[in-house]
Amino acid sequence: MIQVVLFLPLLLQPQAAAPQAADQAKLLLQSGIDAENRNDLDRALVEFRKAAEVDPSSSEVLLRIGDAYMKKHDAAAAIAPLKRAAELSPDSVPIQQLLGYALLAQGYAAEAIPHLEIARDPGALGIALLENDEPAKAIVNLQSALESDRENPDLLFYLSRAETAAGSQSTDKLLAAFPNSARAHQTRGQGYYQMKMIPEAVKEYEQAIAIRTDLPGLHLELGEIYAGRAEWPKAEEQFRAETKLQPGSAEAAFRLGDALLQEGQMKEAADELRRSDSLRPNMPETLYAMGRALAAADASAAEQALTSVLKIEQNTPLAAQADLLLASIHRKQGKSELASREMADYRRIQGLRGQ
Amino acid sequence: MRSVVRKRGILLLLVALPVFAKLVTRAPQLQLTPLHGVDFVLRHSPTTRKYLIETMPGGVALLDYNNDGLLDIFLVNAGHVPSPLRSPAHFDRDNPAYWNRLYRQNKDGTFTDVTVQAGLQHAGDTNYGMGVAVGDYDNDGFPDIYVTNFGKNILYHNNGDGTFTDVTAKAGVAAGGWSVSAGFFDYDNDGKLDLFVTRYLDWTPETSKTCGRVEEPMYCPPGEFGSTTNILYHNRGDGTFEDVSVASGIAAKKGRGLGVAFADYDGDGFTDVFVTNDALEQFLFHNNRNGTFSEVALDSGAALNNSGKMPSGMGVAFQDYDNDGLPDLLITQLPHEPYVLFHNDGNKSFSALELETGFGALSETSSGWGVGLEDFDNDGWKDAFIVQGHVFDNVHSYDNSLRYRDVPLLALNNRGHFERGNVGPTLAVAGRGAAFGDLNNDGWIDAVTTALGDGPQFYLNRGGKSHWLTITLHGMSSNRDGYGARVQVNGQVRFATAAGSYLSSSDKRLHFGLGDNSKAEIEIRWPSGIRQTLREVPADQFLIIKEPERK
Repeated sequence: MIQVVLFLPLLLQPQAAAPQAADQAKLLLQSGIDAENRNDLDRALVEFRKAAEVDPSSSEVLLRIGDAYMKKHDAAAAIAPLKRAAELSPDSVPIQQLLGYALLAQGYAAEAIPHLEIARDPGALGIALLENDEPAKAIVNLQSALESDRENPDLLFYLSRAETAAGSQSTDKLLAAFPNSARAHQTRGQGYYQMKMIPEAVKEYEQAIAIRTDLPGLHLELGEIYAGRAEWPKAEEQFRAETKLQPGSAEAAFRLGDALLQEGQMKEAADELRRSDSLRPNMPETLYAMGRALAAADASAAEQALTSVLKIEQNTPLAAQADLLLASIHRKQGKSELASREMADYRRIQGLRGQ
Repeated sequence: MRSVVRKRGILLLLVALPVFAKLVTRAPQLQLTPLHGVDFVLRHSPTTRKYLIETMPGGVALLDYNNDGLLDIFLVNAGHVPSPLRSPAHFDRDNPAYWNRLYRQNKDGTFTDVTVQAGLQHAGDTNYGMGVAVGDYDNDGFPDIYVTNFGKNILYHNNGDGTFTDVTAKAGVAAGGWSVSAGFFDYDNDGKLDLFVTRYLDWTPETSKTCGRVEEPMYCPPGEFGSTTNILYHNRGDGTFEDVSVASGIAAKKGRGLGVAFADYDGDGFTDVFVTNDALEQFLFHNNRNGTFSEVALDSGAALNNSGKMPSGMGVAFQDYDNDGLPDLLITQLPHEPYVLFHNDGNKSFSALELETGFGALSETSSGWGVGLEDFDNDGWKDAFIVQGHVFDNVHSYDNSLRYRDVPLLALNNRGHFERGNVGPTLAVAGRGAAFGDLNNDGWIDAVTTALGDGPQFYLNRGGKSHWLTITLHGMSSNRDGYGARVQVNGQVRFATAAGSYLSSSDKRLHFGLGDNSKAEIEIRWPSGIRQTLREVPADQFLIIKEPERK
């Protein structure tokens, strides 16, 4: 159920009618408005319906009826009077907008779209387009709506869904049109990986690489699969290939450094991690990995890297890990007081996390 | 040993190629070999209800129960698990299919099942078998057997005539709950072996549950159940033990204990205790030398792995891998995190060096259980042997990169850095226990492993040309087995113990690879404090060393 709560002030225009009937209708309309103001929606509806009987050509009265039903969360009942109102006043923004909401709330997204277009309501229109399997257009509208309402969680939610759906549509198109392309294999590889079907994912990536060995990202993603399985020599091979393709990629350098670290090649790992740090400075994961790589060979440099982590990260699991490693370095150096201090920080963070 | 290292370093520089060839020939040639007469199958009886106990058995012990100089084999069986299982549980242990078994080695290398003859067929119908510990708790010269169970544990006294007597009730060591690994050691250096028992979870059939998908249930992780305490029994010396778990401080920490190993990590002459915990901080119980222990793992750097995570600690070896004279810790665990190696830094602290030592690239997707640090190629550096297999029999359904059955890992120690060795043609099994010893007395360490639903695997070492020395300690003031002694041979150190690994008990003899050295210098610090030195000892022999009298 789509929750549309984007009501705008109703800007109603008086409609032409026979003077006597019009006066009676106005009285009934006002009586209904009074009841509505008292939150007596049932009474208001009675008065509005009477007004409609007196003056069936009043789009204002019909709009009031539709609005009252919407306030009663009865979108189904609101649709008929709003449709009639729209016929009578096709240019009325409030009528088109409320009709669009009612139709959308009832699942008639395709029918709601033209009304919401007239109403120029990008938020609701984006939602309707998404529901109508038009995610690309939905994204444009939702982004437009977010420009004036940045913190709206509903809009953010639907934008996220639209982006996912758009990706999926593009993927389907890619797989249908170019099933044997490197990108198709990569896409299938990603899918298998998400489903934890690792051998199948690896096979797809290998096929993708065989077709386009120079495609950035393929080696990185395959390397990450191997890293997830702790198959570090294979991961290293892929990350190394990625760093050759993208020597300016801090991510690839970090991944290669981490793989080398896992393989116990501490010096090579430290070199690569330093390179990553120079490409994209102050990434806490890179600095922590540098600390690990340097801990045995260069305690002072390791200490510096880990202290940098603690300047960026506070009370996080990575900060706790940095504290722990610093404690280990200090213990090894015989600096028991410093080690105790780091352990106290470690315990404090663990305590916070346990709360 | 340091002289050996230096010598080899020079040789490598001068004549690299010939030495390389020599090193290659030194690589151990383990061979999976059936042992005639051993027909044991570890029957754990998995059910669709996924009772967690089904995943954990079973232990193996290598001991010379009749003192004929040949290693015999004791294997712990599990039991039949009724489904549903209700307390009090009955596991059909009177059925011979579920007996524990003792196999006596004959002079021709074959084995004879002597279970009934030895009086070991009664495992207790309400006991689901787990592990085994071996030690001569009454110092009569014959090794006694302690079997751990889900249920009550059993102490079998070795009568010295080929038979055993269940003395559990008299000794007061039945424990209860879910015991896993156990080991004999002398924590107060009074010359009498005490007993440590790890316990896993506060689990009963009634609190059991399944996890995972409805259509494909799986065993639950340990965090779904309550933790529990370990047990320390003090040997009174009159055939009885006192439960000192609370008084000693051991019970102050609740955990999920699986493995246990002993060594004097800080060189104060008193044996300390390391307990592996599943998905928790590991425990290092420092011996305070007054009958109490303090748990110091976190502040010593031996609680968490290299990346600060809590290991799923299972098996453990507590020996010196880098020949610096200090006992280090190698801990097996679940996949995707390397086996943990805590290097003893010598100032009462440890550093997690699993990556630096090569285990990051060796563990990969394997789950490790039984583990030993033994010198398989007799080059003077202790190698690692790890039996592997995942906890869950349907793990592949949840992650097809993981496998239930696996082959063991032999990691050869190249001066402190471990590299994958060749275990030869082998079978993938759901490995669990592992014990180490020289089964055929050829001077080369062999391995015996257990596997759920399978028979034991015997990895016999085909040997090579390096020299070796195997020492049996005969304690006098100290306990008869010499457990807790620090024995240094040509610079290498071993801490005398049969405990460690997972659920299992290894050959109590201390094996040293001597490389090219045909002579050895031996230094022993006995638990009594007595020090003993032997010089110019010829290599390639089984040596019995009797503790001298205090001067």
